[in-house]
Parts: sequence; structure tokens; C-alpha cells
Amino acid sequence: MITQVENPVLEVHDLTVSYGRNPVLWNIDFTLPKGSLAGIIGPNGAGKSSLIKAIMGLLEINNGFIKIFDQGLNEVRKKISYVPQRESVDWDFPASALDIVQMGTYHKLGLFKRPGKAEKALALDCLKKVGMEKYRDRQISELSGGQQQRVFIARALAQQAEIYFMDEPFAGVDISTENMIVDLLKAMTAEGKTVIVVHHDIHSAPKYFDWIIMLNMYLVASGPTEKVLTEELLEKTFGGKLSLLSDAAQLIKQKGFNPLKS
Amino acid sequence: MEDFVYFFSFQDPNVAMVVAGITLLSISAAMVGTFTFLDKKALLGDAISHAVLPGVCLAFMFAGSKNPYWIVLGAFITGAVSTYAIEWISRSTKLKEDTVIAAVLSVFFGIGILLFTQLQQTGDAALSGLDHFLFGNAISIVYEDLMVYGILALLVIVCLLVFYKEFKLIIFNPGYAQSVGLPVKRLKLLFNTLLVMAVVTGIQAIGVVLMAALLITPPAAARFWSDRLKIILLLAVIFAVLSGIAGAYISFAVPHMPTGPWVVMAISFIAFASFFFAGKKGILSKWYNQRNYQQKIHRDHLLKSLYQVRERNAAPLGKADILELFPGKEKETKRFISKLKKEGQIEEKSNHLLLTPTGLVEAKRVVRLHRLWELYLAQYLNLAPDHVHDMAEKMEHLLTPELEAKLDASLDYPTQDPHHSKIPRDHDL
Amino acid sequence: MTFDPNAFLIILTGTLIAISCGLLGSFLILRNMAMIGDAISHAVLPGIVLAFFFSGQREGIAIIIGAGLLGILATIIIDYLSTKVKLQNDASIGVTFTWLFAIGIILITVFAGQIDLDQDCVLYGEIAYIPLDLIVTENNTILGPRVLWIAVINVILVLLYVGFMYKELKLTSFDKQFAQTIGFSTGFINLSLMGMVSYTTVSSFEAVGAILVLALLVVPPATAYILTKKLKPMLLLTILIGFLTSLVGYYLAYFIDGSIAGAMASVSGLFLLAAILYVTIQKRSIGKGIIMPAELKR
Repeated sequence: MITQVENPVLEVHDLTVSYGRNPVLWNIDFTLPKGSLAGIIGPNGAGKSSLIKAIMGLLEINNGFIKIFDQGLNEVRKKISYVPQRESVDWDFPASALDIVQMGTYHKLGLFKRPGKAEKALALDCLKKVGMEKYRDRQISELSGGQQQRVFIARALAQQAEIYFMDEPFAGVDISTENMIVDLLKAMTAEGKTVIVVHHDIHSAPKYFDWIIMLNMYLVASGPTEKVLTEELLEKTFGGKLSLLSDAAQLIKQKGFNPLKS
Repeated sequence: MEDFVYFFSFQDPNVAMVVAGITLLSISAAMVGTFTFLDKKALLGDAISHAVLPGVCLAFMFAGSKNPYWIVLGAFITGAVSTYAIEWISRSTKLKEDTVIAAVLSVFFGIGILLFTQLQQTGDAALSGLDHFLFGNAISIVYEDLMVYGILALLVIVCLLVFYKEFKLIIFNPGYAQSVGLPVKRLKLLFNTLLVMAVVTGIQAIGVVLMAALLITPPAAARFWSDRLKIILLLAVIFAVLSGIAGAYISFAVPHMPTGPWVVMAISFIAFASFFFAGKKGILSKWYNQRNYQQKIHRDHLLKSLYQVRERNAAPLGKADILELFPGKEKETKRFISKLKKEGQIEEKSNHLLLTPTGLVEAKRVVRLHRLWELYLAQYLNLAPDHVHDMAEKMEHLLTPELEAKLDASLDYPTQDPHHSKIPRDHDL
Repeated sequence: MTFDPNAFLIILTGTLIAISCGLLGSFLILRNMAMIGDAISHAVLPGIVLAFFFSGQREGIAIIIGAGLLGILATIIIDYLSTKVKLQNDASIGVTFTWLFAIGIILITVFAGQIDLDQDCVLYGEIAYIPLDLIVTENNTILGPRVLWIAVINVILVLLYVGFMYKELKLTSFDKQFAQTIGFSTGFINLSLMGMVSYTTVSSFEAVGAILVLALLVVPPATAYILTKKLKPMLLLTILIGFLTSLVGYYLAYFIDGSIAGAMASVSGLFLLAAILYVTIQKRSIGKGIIMPAELKR
């Protein structure tokens, strides 16, 4: 059940990705229409984070290609934004909330240039949008998990991108933060931005997303939420791995090198 | 050469003593080092070995001479204090562990240097021996030293053997160790004590600056030869003893040569040799496997192309046609043609290359795997027929007979691939 | 106390070296790479010895380039061992630097008498003799101590480097993946930092030796790190601690008649200890009502 669209903002073509020598995604192939609020769902180890990392150029691609706005990643970097998992960074880092949000403006500054007044104003504005203006000078380790996630979202907003990739933004956050982020994402997609979110909670998925991508090492389904959230597809996604893919992955792991690399 | 015979015949009791000493300390260091290595705390040993210097100097100040009892005591105390300091600072600040190790290492060593230079200024005659603690001098070991360091090393070895099972458990599964009622905290304390003791035994022969290598490098080298703790331990010990004796010999044969650096050179040589040449994990064998695989791919492609000609009932290919199929790889292709001929997979008839019956079976297998995987991708991964070729091209060289059987079964023994080409079987003509 | 020009020169040189080391070391500890600093400071030794031997002199670009390259080489070997050979990271560091350092010590012993370098100098430098080693031009004008000039050039380059690359260093230290996605070349930024650390280690080598430079790289930034909440104050405090370390270290060495470099390392440790005690006591007096950052993570 894979719905392909005309003039997609994101085209993932026959993508195979390995983490080191371990293949984690097999032949992922889908397209995504502009303005979607898309959720990537699947069990642990299904390759959800790997998919957006591969799209962002953080993992090596063994097969296939990715196009964003019909262009390669390097041509459109300024139009895309990435929110990594909250635990992927060290929150003891000596920086304030405002410092972190300003990092979202760095890609538009050239090499050696420092953020100035305009960048600071933009960062403050983004902090306001996530309700964190009071905490602008707080050191980031003194923020709660939910507040830290808001800071990350604000940094993404400061990038003023067209398409946003978010890795588990709802993991370990309080309910009010979750609701706030969802409202924000809905407002963004209403303005024509596209948002792709890795999500672990199947129950809230239909409320949040208008497009669902179901992964289980391979692409089980991709399409409008009401079309793909069926019992049969959920069973395929969460009901155990395809044993042949696992066996093949095991075979590759034992090789000592990755034979899928071309 | 004379030196060599003299040294290794052990006719000189002094030489025998030095060798005995360095053997014991190498064994204890390699054994303790293996556990710290597997616990991913290798650099802790580096910190401790630098941190014993102030203790050595303080012992000198108190005893007024190079008295091994005082020195061992002093070194042990500051070494133990440094391990405690690392633990305490990591626990009570947000500093990361490697920063803490680097800080404690350099500060303790700085204090040691301050005391050391202070002692130098006082110009004590007995001081000449103190230099040896920096870079080690195995040859200066006398009977009294051997007794102190040797017994200490023996103690470490015996303790490690006695508590082998317990230490193994707290390294691989501390949670489980706790749950079965092992006194994890006390065992860790005991282990840290042994670690400090192992470092202390090496300071005269190897020196504080490089003692860390004798803890870290032997297990790093041994790890490449085995996955089993017992064998890793044994190999680490053998590597360490060999390097220890080699280092002692060089400082015996070449005047003014410190022992420590040569021990490190020997053990590093063993380590780098292991990284490159060790069985399955070595770089060389990985590289070799990869090259073999590339060649298998080329061979498979050759057979496949001959099969496809046959399948299409097209005119058979000559050698030149085949070379054209693989542009830029003429040399390899030629080599494979003659190799396949020798193996009886292909034959040349009136300037045409043809598959022999055995070659046909092999070629069919490659084509069959390709088409089975294409079908698998189409059926199970919902891929369009025009999207399946590239990955099948990679998988056809990889799949084993067991996986083929499984693949076939899960597709219910199909006859056609998604492009409606026939899936070739051994029994068809 | 009367003004002692020698003391002034030594303290000034020590301060400049502490500043160069501390600024770069701040980024090392923020990247969890303190032990890489340890590895580099050991690994430059064979480079220094060979450069001494072949160029036959102490000054000169040859040493700085030769030894600096070796520092970068060490980081490349460590990286190769841990990513390609798949040796665990801590062991990769340990194996590499002990090996390179052993080569350096052996070379010193082999070349003993042919070069003006000994094992002591390797361990703790000769900052006390700085005022004696002057640069004199052809028409007999004295330009001041040679090692001071090296330190001045070093500190200027480090300040320029950190100034220009501030944004890049900050972002790649905090969130490498994000930096990569916005197109920063994280590999290049990392290598440039390693290059600067190597160069600074070499420049500081004559004054404080190869091992104690680690104290200046790691301890003042670690002290500043636990006392501050933002990067800029952390860097400024590192500079201040660097100065105090040099000042107090000089007088400590003077009074107990020992190595100045050793005294500087000891004093930096005292500052760190004081900072840790201060923070721990403060934490206790605030009480347990406040959630500590460590508990917030995950």
C-alpha cells in the first residue's frame, strides 16, 4: 500500500542503507506531497531514525537516491531542517537556550561570520513561538526534558526551512509540550511547509498526522493516514520482521565488509 | 651475538633475576590490563601509572634512599588516591570521565615532577636511581627489588586467578553479578587495588611514563586472535612476557638504553602485526575477503552473460564480444575466461565461448538467485518491477544455498520473475 | 618585593602558553577528547627529536611543521584503529601514543650528545632558562627571549583561530550531526582543531615539556567548565585561571626550588580541587529540592 504522488517535495528512490556493516533499511521507495505532516512509525529497530539520517546525509547509502524539491541534498541544504533526538547531545554544554536557537541561523551566515542583531531577533522570535522566551538565558542543563525539546524545535524554526525532519520529538516530553508541538507543526503545514516526524506511539498517530509511513526494515506502507492505518498493515509493521531480510542482514554482518557498497 | 648468548643462557644470576622479575611483572600487568581493557577503562591504567610518581618521590624524601619497601608503599598510596580522585570527581561534577582522567593524570604527574626536581636540586647521591623510575631500567633490579616487586606481582596474579569468575562476571554483566549476591562494590575495590599494585610492580623496570602500554597493548593485540576470555588472557600474557624480556635484553646489550621504551616498541610491534595479520579480524584478511568477493562478482557476471545469450537464442559470443561487455576490465576478464576454462565451466568452440554442463548449472544458479530476489522484492516489499533490478544485482552474489531454499519456499517455488522471465532450474533444458 | 625582570618574563611566557593551551583545551573537553590531547602531546615527541636532529637547531619552522604533522598523524592513526581496525577507542589512544612516545625516547637516547635535548626536557621543559636564551640580531640588538616570541606568535594564532572559527567550533562541539546537516565540514573543523593543538603542543614543548602541556590543555578549562554556564565566560575564566596558574606556579617553584612547569601543573590541580569543593558545597547548601541536571537527562 504505497501511494506515489506527482511533483513530490521528497522522493526516496529504492533506498538501501546500512549502519556500518549492518543493513537496516531495504529498498525504501516513496514520495511525499508538499504540505504533509507525515509520521514515520514502526517497531524498535525498524530503521525509522536511520531513514531520516540517510535523507540528511548522515548515513551511507548503499543503493538508490534521494531527491528533495527534485534536487540533491547539497543544493537544497538551506531549505531543510533536522531535529536530532534529544539524547544525541550533551545538555551539560555551556550554552543558554538562546545560544542553541541561534545555531539555527548559522547556515545562512558565511564562514567566519558571527550571528548579529537580526539573527538574535529571529532566535528570540522562535523562542517565543515555543513559549520559552522566559528561559532565554537559562543554561540548557537547567531545563526540563520538554523544555529542551522546545529549544530544539525553536532552533529548527530559526532555520526557516521548507521541509523539516524530526527524530522522536515527543520522546520523554510532558503532555503540554507534546500538544504545543503538534499545534505548531499543524500550523506550519497549513502554511505549506512539509514536516516528517519519527513517532513511537501508534495510538496518537492518526490524531497527529495526515500521512503515515510504516517501516519495518522495509517500507510496509506510505500514504494518507485514513488509507494506510489498517489492521492488516499494522500487523505487517509490528508483527515481527521478515525473516529473509534478517537472515540476509546476518549474512552481511559476518562478511567483515559490506558487499552492498557499490 | 655474544651478548645474546650470554643473556639468554642465564648463566649470570643477575640476568636470571632480571628476567624472572620482568616476567612476573609482565604477567600481572597483562592480566590486570585484560580486565580493564574489556571493561573499556584502558586509560585508567595510564592515569594510575603517571600518578605513582609523586608517591615514589615522597618515599625517597622519607627514606632518604632508594628503599623498595618505602617506594612501593608511596607509589601504592598516590596511585590509589588517584583512582579514588577520578571516581570522586566523575561522581560529583558534570565533568566527563576522559576529562577527569586527563586532569588527574597530568596534575599528579606535575606534582611528581615538582618533587622530583626538588630532590634533584638537593643533589642527593642516592638519587641516581630515581631517574630509572621515569623510563625504567630493568638491569638495575637487584635481589631486594626482585623480592618486593616479584612477590607483589605474584600476589596480583594469584588474586586474579582466585577471583577470575567473579571479575569476569562484574565486567560482562554487573547487574547480574549484583543480583546473584556478589559483593560488587568490594570486588571492584579489590580489583582497583590489584590494578594499582600491578602498575606499582612495573615502575622500576618499565618506568611510570610508559607502564600504561604494558597494561593496554597486550590485551588489545590478543583481542584480535580470539573471542574467549581465557585465550585472550593467555595470549596477552605471552605477548607481554616476550616484549618484557626483549626490552630487558636491549637495555642489557646497549648501554644507557632505558628498558621501558623498548618494551613498548616490542609490544606495539606485536599489536600492529596482530591488527593487520590476525586471523579473521585482521585488516589483511578483511581486505583479502573483499578482493575475493569482487572477483566472484566478476566471475558470476561472466557466466551470466553467457547464459543470457543462450536464453535469448542469440548468436554465441566470441572472446572479443565478451571483452566488450566489460569495458575497462579487459585484463581481468581475460584472466577469468582462462580460469573458467580450466575449471571446465566454459569451453571454446570455433572461436565461440560456450557454457559446459557444469558451467550451465552455475550460471543458472546466479540468474536464478537474481530473479528470485527480484520476485521477493516485488512480492514482499511491494516494489514496482522497474525498481528491483539494482539490489538483485548485488544479492545474487551473496545468497547462500540455505537462503536460496528459504527464498524459494517463501515464494512457493515460482517459475517467473516480475519481468516475466523464466526462473531457470537445474532440471530444465 | 622588587620587580624581577626574569620572573616577569617567565610568568608572561607561562601565561601566554597557558592561554593558548586553555582556549584549545576548552573545545577538547567539550568534545570529550581530553585524552586525544594527551595522545597528541606525547606523539609529537618523535617529530621534535627528528626535526632537531635534521635541522640541527632549535628555532625554525622545520620543528614546528615536522612535529605538528606528527600530532595530526597520531589523531589519524587513532581514528584508523578505531574505525577501520575496530579496536575500541580508549585502547586505540593508549596503543598509539605510548608507541610514538617510546619512539621519541629511543631517538633521544640514540642521538644523545648530537642534539641538545634530554629526557628531563621532554618531561618538564626549561621555562626557567627562558630569559637566558635571547634572540640577537646581526647588529647586536636584543629582541628578547626566543621562547617568549614563540609563545607570542602561538597565542596570536590561537586567538585568531578561535575568534574566526568560534561559531563552527561551538556548534560542532555541541551537536555534530546538526552541524553536518547544515553543511559544515565537521571533519575539516575537527582536523583543524587537532592541528592547532599539535602546533601549540610543539610551541610549548621547550617551556613546559611534552607531558605537562596536558595539564594546561585540560585542567584550567575543566575548572572553568564546572564554574560557568556559558561558553564565553568559560573561555574568559580559562584565560584568567591560566594567568593565575602561571603566577602562583612560578612562586611555588621558586620557594620549594623545583620545576616551574611541575609547579604550574600542581597549582592548576589546586584550582580544580577548590572549584570542585566550591560547587559541591554550594550544591549541598541549596538542598535536595532542585533537580540536578544529571537526573534530567533521559
